[in-house]
Amino acid sequence: MAAAGARELKDGETVVVGIGLPQVACFLAKATHAPGLTPLLEIGVANMQPKDTPVGLADSRIFYRATCWSGFLDVMGMNLHRGLVDTGFLGALEVDRFGNINTTLSRQGGKVRYFNGSAGGNDVASLAKRVIIIMRHERRKLPVAVSHLTSPGFPGGKSRAESGLRGGGPHRIITDKAVLGFDGETRTARLISVHPGTSFEEVAANTGFPLRRPDDLAETPLPSAEQLRILREEIDPKSVYLGQAI
Amino acid sequence: MAPTGPGEAGADLTGKIRTLAEVVKTVPDGAHVALGGFAIARNPIAVVHELIRRNKRNLTLSQGVAGLDTDLLVGAGAVRHLIIGGGSLDRFGPVHCVNRARETGSLVYEDWTSLSICFRYLAGALGLSFIPIKSLIASEILARLEGGAGSDQVKAMQCPFTGEPYVALKALVPDICFLHVQIADAEGNCRILGPRWDNEEQAKAAKRIIVVAEEIVPTDEIRREPERTIIPGHRVEAIIHQPFGAYPASVFGCYDYDANHLKLYVEHARDPARVFDYIDKYILGSSDHWAWLAKAADMRQLSALKAERNLGY
Repeated sequence: MAAAGARELKDGETVVVGIGLPQVACFLAKATHAPGLTPLLEIGVANMQPKDTPVGLADSRIFYRATCWSGFLDVMGMNLHRGLVDTGFLGALEVDRFGNINTTLSRQGGKVRYFNGSAGGNDVASLAKRVIIIMRHERRKLPVAVSHLTSPGFPGGKSRAESGLRGGGPHRIITDKAVLGFDGETRTARLISVHPGTSFEEVAANTGFPLRRPDDLAETPLPSAEQLRILREEIDPKSVYLGQAI
Repeated sequence: MAPTGPGEAGADLTGKIRTLAEVVKTVPDGAHVALGGFAIARNPIAVVHELIRRNKRNLTLSQGVAGLDTDLLVGAGAVRHLIIGGGSLDRFGPVHCVNRARETGSLVYEDWTSLSICFRYLAGALGLSFIPIKSLIASEILARLEGGAGSDQVKAMQCPFTGEPYVALKALVPDICFLHVQIADAEGNCRILGPRWDNEEQAKAAKRIIVVAEEIVPTDEIRREPERTIIPGHRVEAIIHQPFGAYPASVFGCYDYDANHLKLYVEHARDPARVFDYIDKYILGSSDHWAWLAKAADMRQLSALKAERNLGY
């Protein structure tokens, strides 16, 4: 999962990352094929070298040895709002077929439970040139329509321009079972590859929106031994974020 | 008078150094208070505890990303209207009191984003009545603001030059900003070490800026590196000197968060009955911040949290 996320990042890009798996994937990319990545944190951090498994965005461990400390206005304003962020890398409670993200609430049997809300999520999804979402693959987390549209993908299946949005919108959904992309015309999520050890049927059964079996369905490449070593020994030695989902 | 820190030069020449109790007395019920914390970092906990001890009510509270400070005030029932971009206690858990208040409808809630809150403070700081943004568009956040408590705070608009669609945000001007910093002098010149989220825009948007500083240094030291001053003294109304003033949250370069105490807080906060046990025991049961520190952690525990110089935590 982290390795599949890392693979999507290109050397030289500017990336706004959230805490957790986005951050893990970003640093795996930076330690391997993309040493020239510039990771940014919304609180005002550029190009940090995290240490000792940070617990959150404002943990001193995550902004250790950064090259710049500033604030929201710099990172989210003068980089993201300006249109200079290549990739926004986000987690989610729910993502629907149009790549709309919910991080605000869940509805269970008519009862609403609130979660963290947007923070910078809506800003990143609205403004980054492309968005990568990384999350656990569960049927209820991948519904036809999100229970609350916190951050826009292609709302109503409309183009970003039609919605008045500047950024390019969702590009990938990376889960512990598969990699999904988006159809250029219908703007709905489509399967690109399934991870080794799972199958199209298993992925489709665990997805709340319909998935078509593509003619060219690929198998996601396994992480290399070196990627696994970096993840386990350097990036997340306490396995706080990785669990079993690599 | 409160301790003024080391040396003669740190003496309170401008009369701005106050005790927590003196300052909090001047906060009227119903005031719009902005808090400078983010999740579990540099939260003005000493101020929040004193607001709870003084039984402040009906506050409007604004913040970019709410954390322990806001969760405590909401848990204590001090807040009537909440204006936030998000909320979290990082991996220790969600802001249980805030989320529960939303679920039960016990307060008025405006749900924004980090950047839109920052832009609203920026507009306030610049004396603009509004500011356009390209976030929020086509989201349910915007729809709920338009249909609810934020209906007079947002408006769709077009660029007068290009016709591009924007969301116009009304400026946010808090009555009082409480900002926790590492270093200040007696004039109120402040240094913020590490990232500073929306602290500068938030503080400068407010009508009154109150600073809580871990350390008070002589103004001579500020003059040696004035480029490090983020909030200049002439904007600051009062300075409170309170070491470990953000405990159990972290202050970069000074001390780490106290993971054990945060777990204890979250255990209480997730249960509506037990959150009052926490408030009774730790906040109402302490006469001031020093008494709270003595109750929550002994010298050995506090020393263990002190930052290593080369790590900053």
